[in-house]
Parts: sequence; structure tokens; C-alpha cells
Amino acid sequence: MEEELTSTEKLVRGKGVYVDDIRLPGMLHMAVVRSPYARARILSVSGGLNGNELKGGVESVGEGAAAAASETTEPIFGLKSANYAGQPVAAVFADDLYSAQDLMDSVDVEYEPLKPVMSIDEALRAPPIYSSTKSNIMSEKWRGEEFEIADAPLVLEDEFLNRRVATNPIEPRGLVASSEGSRLTIWISTQSVHSIKEGIVGSLNLKPENVRIIQADTGGGFGLKGGMYTEYLIAAYAAMKYKRPVKWVETRREHMMASRPGRGVKGKMKLFADRSGRVLGLKGEVIVEGGAFSGGMGEFASNFIALQCTGPYLIQKAHVRALSVYTNKVPLGPYRGAGRPEAAFFIERMMDKLADELKMDPADVRLLNATTEPFKSPTGLEFDPSRPFIEKALNEFNYRKRVANGNAGIGFFVLVPALQPGETCRIAVRGKKVNVWLGGNSHGQGHDIFIKKLVSDEFGIGEDDIIVERGDTDQLEDGVGAWGSRTAMVGGAAVVSVARKIKDQIEKEFGEYTPEHLLSNEFDVYTFERQKGSLTSLGGNMASVDIDALGTVNVKEIDCYYDVGRALNIDMVRSQIIGGAIQGMGQTLTEEIAYGPDGQLLTGSISDAGVLNAESLPRFNIKLADSYSRLPHGAKGLGEAPTIGVPCALARAIEKVSGRRIRETPVKPELLVGLEG
Amino acid sequence: MTPASFDYLSPASLEEALGLLKEHGDDAKILAGGQSLIPLMKLRFTSFPYVIDVSRIKELKYIRKEGRKLTIGALTTTAELEESGEVRDEFQIIHDACSNIADPLVRNMGTVGGNLSHGDPGNDLPAVMIALKARFNLQSASGKRSVSAGDYYKDTFTTDASPEEMLVSVEIEIPDGRFGAAYVKHKRRAGDFSVAGVAVAFSLDGSGRLGSAGVGLTSLGPTPLRSAGAEKALEGSKPDGEGVKKAVEAARADSNPSSDFYGSREYKLFVLGKIMEKCVAEAAGRAQKEGSA
Amino acid sequence: MSKINITVEINGQKKSAEVEGRMLLVHFIRESAGLTGTHVGCDSTNCGACAVLLDGRAVKSCTVLAAQANGRKVVTVESLSDGGKLHPIQSAFLERHGLQCGYCTPGMLMSAYWLLSRNPSPTEEEIRKGIAGNLCRCTGYQGIVDSVKLAAERMKEAK
Repeated sequence: MEEELTSTEKLVRGKGVYVDDIRLPGMLHMAVVRSPYARARILSVSGGLNGNELKGGVESVGEGAAAAASETTEPIFGLKSANYAGQPVAAVFADDLYSAQDLMDSVDVEYEPLKPVMSIDEALRAPPIYSSTKSNIMSEKWRGEEFEIADAPLVLEDEFLNRRVATNPIEPRGLVASSEGSRLTIWISTQSVHSIKEGIVGSLNLKPENVRIIQADTGGGFGLKGGMYTEYLIAAYAAMKYKRPVKWVETRREHMMASRPGRGVKGKMKLFADRSGRVLGLKGEVIVEGGAFSGGMGEFASNFIALQCTGPYLIQKAHVRALSVYTNKVPLGPYRGAGRPEAAFFIERMMDKLADELKMDPADVRLLNATTEPFKSPTGLEFDPSRPFIEKALNEFNYRKRVANGNAGIGFFVLVPALQPGETCRIAVRGKKVNVWLGGNSHGQGHDIFIKKLVSDEFGIGEDDIIVERGDTDQLEDGVGAWGSRTAMVGGAAVVSVARKIKDQIEKEFGEYTPEHLLSNEFDVYTFERQKGSLTSLGGNMASVDIDALGTVNVKEIDCYYDVGRALNIDMVRSQIIGGAIQGMGQTLTEEIAYGPDGQLLTGSISDAGVLNAESLPRFNIKLADSYSRLPHGAKGLGEAPTIGVPCALARAIEKVSGRRIRETPVKPELLVGLEG
Repeated sequence: MTPASFDYLSPASLEEALGLLKEHGDDAKILAGGQSLIPLMKLRFTSFPYVIDVSRIKELKYIRKEGRKLTIGALTTTAELEESGEVRDEFQIIHDACSNIADPLVRNMGTVGGNLSHGDPGNDLPAVMIALKARFNLQSASGKRSVSAGDYYKDTFTTDASPEEMLVSVEIEIPDGRFGAAYVKHKRRAGDFSVAGVAVAFSLDGSGRLGSAGVGLTSLGPTPLRSAGAEKALEGSKPDGEGVKKAVEAARADSNPSSDFYGSREYKLFVLGKIMEKCVAEAAGRAQKEGSA
Repeated sequence: MSKINITVEINGQKKSAEVEGRMLLVHFIRESAGLTGTHVGCDSTNCGACAVLLDGRAVKSCTVLAAQANGRKVVTVESLSDGGKLHPIQSAFLERHGLQCGYCTPGMLMSAYWLLSRNPSPTEEEIRKGIAGNLCRCTGYQGIVDSVKLAAERMKEAK
């Protein structure tokens, strides 16, 4: 009977198999001893498995990965120094979790605490954290061309900050590693078994054919579970060393300390405009708080944000400096949006400021600067004509009527999905069943639903004949990953491509394609469906709020108008949008990973970190543009759209009601009642 | 996360529990519902050689109402108190607090005694009991005594109870005539600990002026606080009069919140003022309906 | 530290084991009874992924000692369905997109089950308050609230 259950049905029966549900004979539980200091010299480490034995670094893989190796890249264990509170210095192993946590006391570490660097501003002022770098600048790039506008009638400057937020999937990170002979098998909660394999193979110097990565049921990812983490390497190494399976599941407190969070970006914007509201040019500076180590999203994000700083507007001159800096915090990682929400927040806040300066309606400023032709901005952002889209969105929002209430804000953006380099797919037909593997692994978005739909449509067979397999590097040799709003798009294209290859094969062999020919024979086809160029889409949000006497923001309505191309399953699209919108609302109102000046984490629980619960949430009005992309199945990006647009619209709505300029997320009640800022 | 090791003791009666407390004293910790204690133990922020699970002592699980007197056994859960019709109808202030503690699942385990004795300045029931001038009945193997709610809290996580003593019940008696009480709590977000909370209880005389008043404060200092200054300012004032503004000033003077992740010191004091006004108005409204709190 | 013998009735079956006093109920359910539908999502009694019924009331099993449940009755997500047949709450979650990743789902189901057992016709606000102790990061809760509403209707019809 179990065989008959769909994957979602298993989950509602409590029959899912997440990493923590896996139990192997002789399995050890791992607990990680972490630096309590944000910055310290380590004088000695003894006990447990530590950096005296396991040297080396974390191979950077996944979204935003960059290859590099130096003292500024993350070591597996801190040995001579610790550079963020929560950095692993040793690991201990026992037969059960309780004993493993008891053993943490057996590790002795002698620290000499140093003054940590805890903010972007401090990083730019303070002496370098590392002796091998001249400053705390991790990376610096420029986008666009330098320009001067000597006689601009209007020059507006402002500074914005999106504070760090934790990804907080309800299932934390975790894996089980098992070694038999020369073979290492890892079951893991992940968005990409392939990037995990690449990281394990590269960091531990193993042969690719000796490593197998299998995806367990994955309880949410939001960017977190695409990349490599030092704890994965420790568990894998320990499994090989002790010849026993090793399980590690992070605690929520460890998640707050040591799982790579998102945002943490400052934007300094200078907008040149004429008195009619037309933008003449944009100068900007994007500063990403990369955290303690380079080589990942922290290093990459600033350039990606700079690319998008011009928004969906006809800005002919732009020059943006992209900086990433080192601080003594856990390295930055990708979190749903990963650079996109920051850029949108910066430019949309400026468009609202421009509207206020000229006493214009914010919608009119946007329409005036929108494009009627496809456009590529000086920073490199490409998009479809934005004016007709914005017009349509405003109509759908019933904007002109509702804006009169004085409690609504809007925000528009270009969604840049991670199109390149494409994605892989394998379809194997045997025993009258069609088995599908996709390179990017669903971390809870229900990819099964659209994959089944596409396969069923292509083959003309029932969805019951289709089995969507979990990620497994032994079954699918290559792949990219599920992030950057890409899977329905590039994964979907790969599915269609393989299905059509099989149909062609059948036509050649049997003269015609029929579902019977498909199911009564055996096929096994793999493809890496490569994608080039870009395939951006437009989106818009409106939000309306009330604010009470205590500065509590009550979000009344959130409207979404997105171009997702062809919606493969409308219920799934809605569920994705509402989930993302609540994350965007959380970032704007409550979510934050905060530290004291001494580098200690202030937000140790998921509640402190501000994840919203079911109470007091807004009504949603969701509309989709009538659209079909150039891909064979018509899809465009989706997943990150609400986390990009909602903070922009919400910040403006709060600004309207409170009468105070909103420059930071989360918006503090202190600001709204006039006690700061 | 998991707690460090301890010896688990599960007395079936109060007498047995008090005997164990006498035997182990400082080495033992009383576990009632565990909703505050177990999280701290799991994070290994605290550990004890002995944990005495008192949750099986049935004799301490009751809500007893006699006229204007309410007695609550320490092991009554906050959900049971929340669900009690008598409490909801006649002691609304207690219902205000109980329905705002954490979330429904936590309230199903958490007990009144635990909420009152944990000594966390963020817990809700202490301020309510302070405002109602409740008596806490403590018992040890060597005897019984009673202490007023306002004198129970000594420091953060420290109460007047000695290691051998246990809180067994709470007694509340509201005066005859018109009496009103309310608890207002402000949270950043549903389910959070409060930024601040205010409990106010008072009699209303024939001229509509406040008689004897009680004021308790949540999350505004190192312990749950009684604001004697605010009580004094309210007495003789009208519920919408100058006395309320003076009471706010006095309550601010009696408070000492620290800036933390839940809000800056200034913000907490600001919130205190706003919710105290609301709380007094709410209590006054209830006082119009004779015989309830 | 001394171990203690406990017996807990889980989903109608008595489970006895010798455990440490510190063992949490969630680990007793998952490790000793082998029922892994009940999940651990946090360490601060916030997320509710571990929700089960203890003597008929929903509680967070990560914040209950196994020893506290000695001699008492526990109900977990695994017992909601009647053999192959899904409970109306479970089928409503499938129909109304009450889940994406599924990790919070068992706890959500148990909170919803308890809510509907006390209040068969909850308003939207009552549903939201009823599941306030359960966090979901995927759905934005709308699908969950819709699922509980649908389940309430179906359960009333069936009576």
C-alpha cells in the first residue's frame, strides 16, 4: 500500500522520511563545539575531532559560489582563530544525541578574545580582520559607466539598510553519512545533490565515483540548503574515519548562529532627475556584509545587486559601486531573493522619494520612467517593456481608487531568475512506469506537481503512471540546483526536452508515437538542457496597512501582479506567492538576526528571529499576467517574486501612514512612534 | 537540544514532594508543567542534580470559588484557568492574562504555580496577582506560610520561597461593591513575550472615583513589579482623570526596563503609558458591572 | 543517573521502556516507539512541529519529559488515518494546499485536530489563534486555514 502513496500523502500521514528519520545500525550522533566568541585567537584545542586532525576548507559550491582558497575562505574547523560566534572548532560523537551533547564538555579550547568587527560601517573604518588583506573589503566591482550631470534640476540622495535575516526552514540542516569500503553515501536535506557532491568531493579530495548523494525529504530550503557547509564535511570525514554512519541535525540555535543568513546589505543611492520626474541618472553604492569568509554569496551578492539597481525603468546613465566587506559574523548565504529584494528596495524607495519631492503620485513617477521597448540598463539589467505592465498592474490593483485612502504603497521589479546554465533531466521508462529525475531538487515547493503535469501532457499518459524520483547522484550524473526562481522554468524545459526526445525515438522506431508504445517498452534518456541569455519577468505589488498608537503595523491587504509566464498549476503558484509574501512581510516588520556590540547573538530562537505565525495576516489578491515565455512549456520565474516586491510596497504603505521615511528593514516600532530616527 | 542528566523524582502526594524538597534542598528543582524550565534545561543554560516532577499531585489541581474569593491550586494549568467559565465571567483579568500566555499548546501544559514561581519578569500571571493583591500559600515539610504577591519577587528567577518550600495555592479576594480589573499586554508579534504588560485592579466608589487600587507590571524590570506609586496616584482619581497620567508617571518611575531585542528602554516606557491608560479604562468599564473583576 | 521504567500508551498501544529522566517525550515517540511523524523543528517551544495529544490535549512533545507522560495517553499523527483512509483533516490539507515541504504538517494536523475536537465550527480568527503555536515557513498559512475550514465542514456533514 505504501507504494501507492503520493509524496504529499506520505507527508500528511507522518510517513515522510526526513534526514532525522533515518536510522542506520551503529549510527553515531554528532554534536559540534562552536566558538562562543565572534573573534578570538585560539591558543589550543584538545578533545573531540578538531582542526589539528581535519584540516582544509569548505569548497564553495551552489548559488553564488566562487572558487578560491586562502586564509579568508572558511576552514572546516577554526584552529588558530575563530571569526564568528558559532564557528565550529571541534565535533564529538556518541551513540545517542544526549550523550553527544554531554561530550561537548570534554573539548577544551583556549581562546584569547579579540574585539570583533560587527557592522558594515565598522568594517570600512576598522583595521583589517585578516593579516593578508589590506582592508576589510572582500570584493569591489563597478557596474555601468561613470557620468557627470552638472546641471540636474534635482539630485536626491538616501541610504538604506536591509538587516540580516535567517532562512529558517522548519526543518533545519542535516545529513546522515555512511561509508562502506571506498564508497561514501550521504542522505541529506538539500536543494541540490549535485552541488553537495561537488563540495564533498572537492573539499575532502575524494573520487567522484566513490561518492553518492541522496536527497531525503527536504523540509524547506529557501536558499539555505543549496550550498556546502563545514558540518557536512565533518560528518562525512567522521563516517569514513570511524567506519560508522554519522548523523548530524542542527539545532535551531545552531541555525541562528551558524547557518548562512540572507540580506545584510546597505544601499547608498543618488538619483538625478528633472522637474517633470524623469530620472536622468543613478549613482549608487551597494555594500554587502559578507561576514567572516569570502568565496560565497557574500562576495558575489554585491555585484548582482548592482546589476539590478536600475529597476524596471529607463535609466540611461548609471554607475554603481559593488562592495562586499568582512565582519565577524557567519558568512552570508542566499536567502529567497538573494540580492533581488535588496536592489528593488533601494530603487523603489528612491522612486517614492522622487514622487514625494515633486508632490507626484508614486505611480505616475513610475509610469513616466517605465519603458515602452525592451531595454538593457547601463548596469546590465534586461527586461520587457515595463510601461504596459505597470499600467495593467495598477488597473488590477484598482490603484487610483485605493491610493486615496492614504494607506497604500506600490513596488515594481524585474525578476532575474537563475536561468543559466540550464538544468538536467533523466526519464527512464520501465515496467509501465515513467520515472523522472530532475537536476534541481524540490525542497518543499511541490515540484512533483508540475513535473507530472508536463510529463503527462507531453506523453498523453495519466499522472499515476509517473514517478518523480528524489535527487540521487547515482541516478542522475549531473545537475545544477533548485534556487533562484528557476526550477519550473529551466527544470521544466529539461523535462519537456527529454520527453520529446523519447517521443522522437518512438516515432522513428514505430512510425508513430502512442502512449502504449511508450509504456510497453523501455527507454532511458538524459539531457542537460542548456540555457543562455536571460529571461527576466516583471512583477508588482501593492500593500495597505494600519498602524496603531504603539507603532504596530497591521497589514490589511497585499496585492500581487506577476508575470510567471504560463502557470503550470495555479494553486501551487498561489501557495508559493502567499508563502513568499509572508516572508517579505516578515523581513519588513519583524525578522532579523541581531547581535550585540560584543558579537553575541541576541536572536537565539525562531521566535526572536521574527518568523510570523498564523495570527494577524493580511488578505491576498493575486493576479497573474497573461503570458507565455519563449521556453517550450511557457514558464517564467516565480519563487522569489513576492520576497522582492512585498517589502517595497509595504515600506511605502508604512511611510504613508506613519509620515516617517522608511530606510531600514525591519521597520522598528520605535521609529513609527517617534522615539528614534 | 537535550537536557543534562538528572535524577527524576515523581512524588504522588504533596507530603512526599515536601519531604523530597527537604531532603535535596538546593540540589532539587520543582518541575510543574515545564514550559519555562524544560527549554532552559534543553539549552543547558541550567541543570540540577534532582528534578522533582510535582505534576502528579492531584490535590493541587483545582479552581475553587466561594463568593468573592477565588482559590487556585498551583498545578492547575493555565488552559484550565482560561477555560473556566467562572473565571472568565467573574475574574476577567485572569482570563485576559491566561489567554495571552505563549500559545494554546504551551497553555495546555504550563501551570499557574509554574508561571508564578519561575520568577521571569516576562511571565503574565505575576502582575495580575500583584494587582489583585493575591496571597501565595507556601508549604514546606516544616510548615505553612503565606506571602503577598507583591512581596514574592526578589530578583530575576528568584522568589521569596526557600529551596524547601513550594507554592501550593493562590488566594484572591475581591472587595464588595463595584470592582474592576484588567490586564493589557503588548507583544511585537502574536506568541512573543511581552514588550510590556500592565495589570490594574481597583474599587469604584459611588461618585465614580477609584478606591483601593493594585498595579502590577510585566517585562518592565528585573522582576514582576508592583507600582505602589501608581496605586497611590490612582486612588481618589477618576478613571479618565489626571490621576491616570500621574499613575503612568509613577509607574514609569517604578520601572527599570533594559533595552533589548524586544524594544528600547524608551519604547517600553512609552508602551507602558499607552497600555496603562487602556487598562484603567477597561477595568473601569468592568467595574460598572458590579461583582466581577 | 538512575533510569526509570515508564509505560506510555501511544496511539492505543502500550509502550514500555527504561529511560533516563531527562529523555524528552518527542524522543521517546521517535526513538523508542519508532514513530517519526512527530518532528523536532526548534529548541525553544516555538515551532510546534512536535505537537501530539497528551491525555486529549495538544502539547509540544519537545517540552515534556517522557517521564511526565508515564501512565498517560499520547496520540500522534500516525493514528489520524483510519487504516488506509485519511482523516478529513488530512485530506483537506491535500486538497487545499495546507502544506508544501510537509515538515510542520504533523504538528499542524494535531493542533487542528485538537482545535476541531473542542470547537467544530471555528471562525477564521479562531483557527488562526488555534494554530498560533505552530510555525510554517512555506505556505503563509492561508492554505492551512482553508484546509481546517474545509475539514470542519466535512466533519460536521459526516456527523
